[in-house]
Amino acid sequence: MNSIFKAGTVAIGALLLSTGAAFANPYEKYEGTTIVVSWPALSHFNKAEELIEEFTEETGIEVEVDALQYLKLRDRQLLEMSKDEGEYDIVSWVVMWKGEYVSKGLLTPLSQFYTMGSLVDPSYDINDIADGYLQNGGIVGGHKGYMPGKSGAMYGVPFGAETSILAYRKDIFEEQGIDVPATYDELRAAMAKLGEAGIPAMTSRGKTGHQVTAGWLLHLAPLGGKIFDDEWNPVINSPEAVEAAQVMREIAQTGPKGIPTFGFGEASAAFLQGDAAMYLDTLKIAAMSRDPKLSKVDGKVGFALHPVGSRCGSETGGFAMGIPANSQNKEAAFLFIQYMTSKKGDQRMVELGGDPIRISTLQNNADKFPDYSVVAEQLPCADPDWRPLIPEWNELNIDVLGQALTEVITTDKPIQPIMDAANEKARAIMEREGYYLWQ
Amino acid sequence: MNNDAFRQLWHYTALIILAAMALAPIWVMIATSFKDDILVQDGTPLWFFFVPTLDNYEYILTRGKFDRYLTNSIIVACASTIMTLLLGGFCAYALARTDFRGRNLMANSTLMVRMVPPAVLAVPAFAFVMLSGVNNDLMVLTFLYTALNLPFAIWLLFGFYKQIPVELEEAAIVDGASPLQVFFRVLLPLMKSGYAVAAIFTFRIAWNEFILALLLTGRKTRTLPVGAAGFITDTGVEWGRIMAMGTLIVIPPLLFTFFAARQIIAGMTAGAVKG
Amino acid sequence: MTAELPAPVAKPRFESGFLTPYAFITPALLVMLGGLLYPVIMAFYLSFYDWEIGRDLEDAPFVGMTNFARMMTDPQVWEVLWVTIRFGFWTITIEMTLGVALALLLEKPIRGASVFRTIFILPLMVSPVVVGLIWRYLFDARIGWINYYLGAWFGIEPQVWLGDAQLAFFAIVFTDIWQWTPFIFIIVIAGLQALPSEVVEASTIDGANWYQQIFLVKLPMIKSILVIALLMRLIDVFRGMEVMLIMTGGGPGRSTELLSLHIYNRAFETQQLGYASAISVLLIAIVFGISTLILTMANPMKSRADV
Repeated sequence: MNSIFKAGTVAIGALLLSTGAAFANPYEKYEGTTIVVSWPALSHFNKAEELIEEFTEETGIEVEVDALQYLKLRDRQLLEMSKDEGEYDIVSWVVMWKGEYVSKGLLTPLSQFYTMGSLVDPSYDINDIADGYLQNGGIVGGHKGYMPGKSGAMYGVPFGAETSILAYRKDIFEEQGIDVPATYDELRAAMAKLGEAGIPAMTSRGKTGHQVTAGWLLHLAPLGGKIFDDEWNPVINSPEAVEAAQVMREIAQTGPKGIPTFGFGEASAAFLQGDAAMYLDTLKIAAMSRDPKLSKVDGKVGFALHPVGSRCGSETGGFAMGIPANSQNKEAAFLFIQYMTSKKGDQRMVELGGDPIRISTLQNNADKFPDYSVVAEQLPCADPDWRPLIPEWNELNIDVLGQALTEVITTDKPIQPIMDAANEKARAIMEREGYYLWQ
Repeated sequence: MNNDAFRQLWHYTALIILAAMALAPIWVMIATSFKDDILVQDGTPLWFFFVPTLDNYEYILTRGKFDRYLTNSIIVACASTIMTLLLGGFCAYALARTDFRGRNLMANSTLMVRMVPPAVLAVPAFAFVMLSGVNNDLMVLTFLYTALNLPFAIWLLFGFYKQIPVELEEAAIVDGASPLQVFFRVLLPLMKSGYAVAAIFTFRIAWNEFILALLLTGRKTRTLPVGAAGFITDTGVEWGRIMAMGTLIVIPPLLFTFFAARQIIAGMTAGAVKG
Repeated sequence: MTAELPAPVAKPRFESGFLTPYAFITPALLVMLGGLLYPVIMAFYLSFYDWEIGRDLEDAPFVGMTNFARMMTDPQVWEVLWVTIRFGFWTITIEMTLGVALALLLEKPIRGASVFRTIFILPLMVSPVVVGLIWRYLFDARIGWINYYLGAWFGIEPQVWLGDAQLAFFAIVFTDIWQWTPFIFIIVIAGLQALPSEVVEASTIDGANWYQQIFLVKLPMIKSILVIALLMRLIDVFRGMEVMLIMTGGGPGRSTELLSLHIYNRAFETQQLGYASAISVLLIAIVFGISTLILTMANPMKSRADV
């Protein structure tokens, strides 16, 4: 008797609650939901786990994180997203995968959430997010399919997005009497000088495949090179591209030992452990250099703009978060993304040792972190066409450039023929994929 | 010193050097698992004398998802071992005791499929999981490991069955036992050591397998080797933790080795080690 | 393929029930068909399509023999095949030579032999992933112990072992030798100790010296063991990939990318599943050829006399 009575009260109580539908806050409806997040095991994301705890406390939405090495994310995410019921409610992708995910119909367009008043935080202010980040990580379908344009639609919000800046060791530069390089000529002179002094000059990624190509791309844009011309003809054997390869070779020769084995982790560790005088790659290095667990060089690091060659052109990359089409908890997932990238969330990320995506956060913290004003100044130079984010990029990136550039940095062979051969291969791939049918 | 004593002396010397070479890398792993990151990053080899720490173990046992990985590994390894012994035992028995149409074909093709490289299975298995929507990775993995191990188990058990005199069974049949009763009551007790060898090899391969597990398992179903590889992170390899994980993974195979070295050698010499 | 099994010892009477042996065999057969044969057929099938992860198979365009045509002219495939062959040549040659030599030197039974044998099989029991991790650490350019000892003992400059094509290849060969020489050693010594002592003694009485004894008496008598061991290792060369995946990922360039690893990289790094399947077919053909060779030379189910 007693138990039936109890059950009855509970049922009536629940009924009252649901018919009332007067939720105390936008999160209440999703209390107790568990969402699963797939993202990389990078420093920024490790720090974010603390913000997640605050999110759960505040909203009652449970979050489970599945953190993987970032290059292993895609297989896993693709597999889960193509099942009828996948595991993930939020996926964080490297910007170069966004086109592929969307073209396969695996992501949910975010517009459907922005039309729901109960979900959208009025103080969110999306225009405050650095435009380069938003376009590069979240918008798909614009010019050439991956750049800004009217035909684009929003699928993700940047989180852990980045551009490139130069980090250097103030103490070493002072000791050797080297000025902070503003151009590539100065950079190469500085590398040569450090090399002669027996100090490993600049660290770089150099592992065969994606990593060595990423290292080279950093120099391609400022030196005026591109992967394709406007008709999709590969131009990776242009004088600019060959010069960028030459710079890579000089970096490998004057830099710390082992660059051909360095992935992202090893390359940054070399700088953070004090084994290299310069680091020219993602801005993530700034926050990492302040983390005593990762860094031995805190306080000795200066930051400067990415050196300029024939133009200014820095990286557009990093990560964005979106919602898989087969997620069962899309609305809770949207709330999570909104929370993490809100003004408050962005500020918390900075306090926890992560990287901001908002202009206001950069400005508000500029006094505290010297790199923020550099980043704010660098952002207009971030090149939306830094690399072609087309599905074929994968094969070009890993099989063609990743192989050719390994040859560049591990041998003394003339560079032009290596890049000529790579260009031929790239052309054959584009031909195979039908890019020249419109001509 | 006479000739024989001299021979013995250098015999032992050679064996000790070889044993040291076999053991050294394994010891490096164990030693490293007890070092903190400063000692590891320092790069000076310290074999025995350093201040050991349990931090790495504490981390993987409490902060990581070790319990989950361990459970998955145990489930997959045990389930596939049981399946393999059961099905393989039946099959080997029939091959050893009866003559039937297709027996030679069966025997030969068993050996053929034994050679199928796991890399060949990777793409189709991945495709299967993706297209079929099967949501039980551990079951798929168990099934694949069973398939991979069956040929070797059949081959091995076949040899053991051959050594059992057929008269024993005939006597049981005369007493009115059914084939299943013959199998379970008469043969199984005599086959203990054969099954032990097969079990060790099957378990070991399922326990150690990496590629298929990496591709097919998700957040909840990862096995220990996949979990260990997870310590190769984007901020570098966490050597202390990964070595602690490696040490824990190696424990069961090491225990087998110490307690059943003779059986393992018997299994090896019966054919090959890898499944 | 033509190997005949020995006739069963006797015909137990229960076998008159025609279905019984099939009932015993069918479950194992079904699992092997489903777990091994089906994927192989699937690999054939997929090799005719241009299929990517995340798309329905029905949407994948049929490309006929394109993938195979591409494979035949793809220098990268031939490059990794060449890497695989060189890897096989060096590892097997060195492992066989070392293993057999050690077995001959140490064949006389001595006290405590079983302890040593236990130690020798340890490397074989370690998971390939763990082997890869251990050696990646030892060969590390900055903190690796190998560089340290080369520097401390021989004054050799630190080398970037896994970042140089030749050195990385050496590193994976070295690792393989560490793991697999004991295997050869153990099975050869088992074979030697099983030799009838009268034959060896007779040859001594006949005045054969030590090398005649080895090359004319002992080795020929364990020939079949040697052949099986060799072919097993050969198969493993085409099956293995985990150690390289962990140590180098196949790099630098493709200098340590074995055929199996190449298939994996093609399929899951650059997502060319159809093309990777076509290369799988090549791998299956190679392994099938070697297996046939094993079966014609010695079907272990036919005779176990030499073990």
